[in-house]
Amino acid sequence: MTCDLNRTDDQRQILDAATAMLAAHYPVARLREPRTDSMAALAEFGGFLLAASEEDGGAGFTLVEEALLHVRLGHHLVSPRAVAGALACRLAARQAEPALAERIAAGAAEVCPALPHGDGHLLIDAEGAALALAFEGRRLSLIELGGTAPEPVAGLGHGGIATSRLAPGRGRRIAEGDDRACLTADLLVSAQLLGIAEAARDLAVDYAQTRRQFGKPIGAFQAIKHHCANMGLQAEMLSAQLDMAAIAARDGRDDAAFQVAALRRLAPRAALFNTRTAIQVHGGIGFSAEADIHHYLKQAHVLIRLGEPAPLLDLPAALAPRTNRPRRTPCASP
Amino acid sequence: MRLDITEDDECFRRAARDWLADNVPAAPAPYDGQPARDYALDWLATCHAGGWSGLGWPREYGGQGAPGEKLILWYEEYVRARAPSVLDCTFVAVNHAGPTLIALGSDAQKAFHLPRILEGRSVWCQGFSEPGAGSDLASLAATGRVEGDEIVVNGQKIWTSFADIADYQELLIRTDPDQDRHRGLSWVICDMTAPGITVRPIRNMAGVTHFAEVFYDDVRIPLSNVVGGLHDGWRTAMTTLGFERRTAAMGVQLALSIKVEDLIARAEPAPGSATAERLADLRAEAAALRAMTYRTVFRDSATSSDGSLMRLVFAELAQRIAQASMDILGAEALTDTPPTHDYLEAYSETIAGGTAEIQRNIIAERILGLPRS
Repeated sequence: MTCDLNRTDDQRQILDAATAMLAAHYPVARLREPRTDSMAALAEFGGFLLAASEEDGGAGFTLVEEALLHVRLGHHLVSPRAVAGALACRLAARQAEPALAERIAAGAAEVCPALPHGDGHLLIDAEGAALALAFEGRRLSLIELGGTAPEPVAGLGHGGIATSRLAPGRGRRIAEGDDRACLTADLLVSAQLLGIAEAARDLAVDYAQTRRQFGKPIGAFQAIKHHCANMGLQAEMLSAQLDMAAIAARDGRDDAAFQVAALRRLAPRAALFNTRTAIQVHGGIGFSAEADIHHYLKQAHVLIRLGEPAPLLDLPAALAPRTNRPRRTPCASP
Repeated sequence: MRLDITEDDECFRRAARDWLADNVPAAPAPYDGQPARDYALDWLATCHAGGWSGLGWPREYGGQGAPGEKLILWYEEYVRARAPSVLDCTFVAVNHAGPTLIALGSDAQKAFHLPRILEGRSVWCQGFSEPGAGSDLASLAATGRVEGDEIVVNGQKIWTSFADIADYQELLIRTDPDQDRHRGLSWVICDMTAPGITVRPIRNMAGVTHFAEVFYDDVRIPLSNVVGGLHDGWRTAMTTLGFERRTAAMGVQLALSIKVEDLIARAEPAPGSATAERLADLRAEAAALRAMTYRTVFRDSATSSDGSLMRLVFAELAQRIAQASMDILGAEALTDTPPTHDYLEAYSETIAGGTAEIQRNIIAERILGLPRS
């Protein structure tokens, strides 16, 4: 068969290994104490070099496996430094800064995301970061923070998200991304949003099976079932589109830009829908800071801001009506 | 994970594209009645003559035994060429009755019916739902009394699409009165010209008459028309759900991508406008539905529960597309045009073949593992 959407044995192995690494170093329970994730464990796992060629120190995997890894990172709410680092590695490597790329990949130089904010930037999880990756519309820039001291500001939900402000003109732009980098950014951000959508669904389903009211699990009530089914639907659509987009991007297919743009358009909606619905299914505890679900909602809001989706209507559709009479091209075989 | 199109596949695609360009009828399909029957059978016969019918059927029964790659390519070219909707009055025969006979039919049943279906010589309808058995199909009450080598059928079916123009019906009846629910049912081939059958067509909200009530008054059906064993009809009815939801649904699902493209072309939305945003959402969702279609074909884990997911995504997207189309039309939305017709017809999508609510229950219980109600 020339088309096969089953996970390969290699993919299953790398994802199993990632799951074990994440359970050990990034358990979701860690978020109950405010702290900024170190990328050291992810770097040691080879998470920043997964898709790099073997001569560049990579494991010989591709963008498809890297996207699947980022779905798992989404499940564990790993700091958006992971996406920033994965992209910063590429920017540095392509701009003839191999030493910098190596330091990022090794976790020696941490990269935080930066978003346009007033005349300057809002940094996410900037503590100890040497670099920032700025997501400005459809443009990516790598900024060396040097000795600049970002000013901490209270984050969403009284510190639920660690934010700080970088004054205008501070830091030094050292590399710019191209279209390919934007495509990769959209793919990895969407993959993480899928991880959040799946995890929110799973948390809600678990809760609906254990929480009892009126003498039975609340998941036996149709109203709750339908909430859960809707979350399942959003996750499944996004997951199928992620496979399609990742394969198209890896193989450099003509429809890669379209598939990734469609994915990036669906991802925020699915992640927000599922996290919002999951909070509702959790009831009172879902509104408390003691349950984990609010972290997923907040992380979704951060990820959604990492770049703007490409304008989908400007791209040629993957499946469009035939307009012209076909040009006859005889075939050798019938 | 890969989606590689070989040179052989590409040749197949070109051949399909060329053939469709030459053969797709210029006139649109009539909505109902004898003209709808004539049109659909003509089109199926044309496909058969061109070597394009029964692509998903096994070769030994006159099909092509085409692998998933070729089925997808065929249906993609099919919808791109705007070929007639596969959901016409031949749908039940080609995608449900035929595959059921292939799986469980007797040699005589297969020899008689399968060529007639593939060559575009017979129309089938499905007699499952009853006034008292809609979502709860297993509560059906139509009876079949075994008398010698015949079954005598009494009762009523409803929402039977194309009953007024069908030659045969796949009829589900209770043949063992001592058993209830899923047990004691039989799946029989009913000749729609048999004495005692009365068909009363029902006009739907779109103003067309493609479904009907069917009444059975001592209708005598030979015992040899039972498919899959007497009193074992539930299993027979479930046998081909997988085929219907995987293969047959392809053409319907992929067609939504084309509907969205047509809508975008017609609307010419200003960049950044609310209409442009809405159309971009629909475009993304149609892309995801296509990705899900690929997944059901090229991934091993596809089960009938996954079918519920597909079915629901499709149904609700079809409605959103139809609603957007209606909103974009302006005053023409109040006239009888193909988009307004499609809009009204789309209301059936979340009702027919298992309501959206039932599909959600199935997803919650069988895929997500929530307790039964």
